[in-house]
Amino acid sequence: MDPQLFVWIVARATGVAAYIALCLSILSGIALRTSVLDFLATNRALRALHDFMTWVWIPLGLAHAVSLLLDRTAQITPLDLVVPFQVSYAPLAIGLGTLSLDIVLVITVTSWLRRRLDDRLWRWIHRASYVAFVTLFLHALLSGTDFSSPLISSISWSAALGIGLLAASRIFFGRLPE
Amino acid sequence: MPSWSLKLSALFITLFVLAGSFDYARGHVKNPNAPLQPPVAEGPAASGIAPTPSPAPTIGPLLTTRPGQRAPTVTPGPRLTLAPGVQSATLAPITLTHTS
Repeated sequence: MDPQLFVWIVARATGVAAYIALCLSILSGIALRTSVLDFLATNRALRALHDFMTWVWIPLGLAHAVSLLLDRTAQITPLDLVVPFQVSYAPLAIGLGTLSLDIVLVITVTSWLRRRLDDRLWRWIHRASYVAFVTLFLHALLSGTDFSSPLISSISWSAALGIGLLAASRIFFGRLPE
Repeated sequence: MPSWSLKLSALFITLFVLAGSFDYARGHVKNPNAPLQPPVAEGPAASGIAPTPSPAPTIGPLLTTRPGQRAPTVTPGPRLTLAPGVQSATLAPITLTHTS
């Protein structure tokens, strides 16, 4: 297989997989504060899943970014992975992905440093994951090459719907006592 | 459900999506419905080779006159509005209706 074709296919596949892994991470995170998934597992198990999924989406997200860097057609530079809205041909669609990556990385790093941070500050930073998910979804919708595929589209919309339902449950029904 | 079972299920779902997406992308390399279509062909400026201008065509006299014959006067004809990309030559316009 042509190397350029290979990195293009890897970029698309890892993009979809990273989206799903991040959705599962967010879903398990919201489920910690609601009773919606009580029938499935305990909070301890959901917390373990939430922490575990970080180690699943990080390599997939990195593979997505690196393969797009190597793909000459995508025309992504290392700066575009950090600074959003810089790409010449689709600044919004690709910039939303960069913004999402930036937010998620800040959330992840602050979670690793949680014991050194003020608890209220950490919680507010962690709530930015809702913003990160919205930007990620818009990035997938506006730039996803395979989003027009019925199967991939239904998976992506289902994951977004699941997060939306859990977020609504969190807002309207409150959270479990700690 | 124990935590290891949740982790395994989530990992399996992710890997299944990864493999399925890879297979789908391999089967559909070019998607004409994709929202992003980055420019593929590089322009002449990007390739570093300056384009060479093509020489202007030259033609001989359009009309010859016999000895003693007065040269016909050339009256300017109607002006044409050319579409972009069509270049006008510096030659005299061919607007004669003279017949010998």
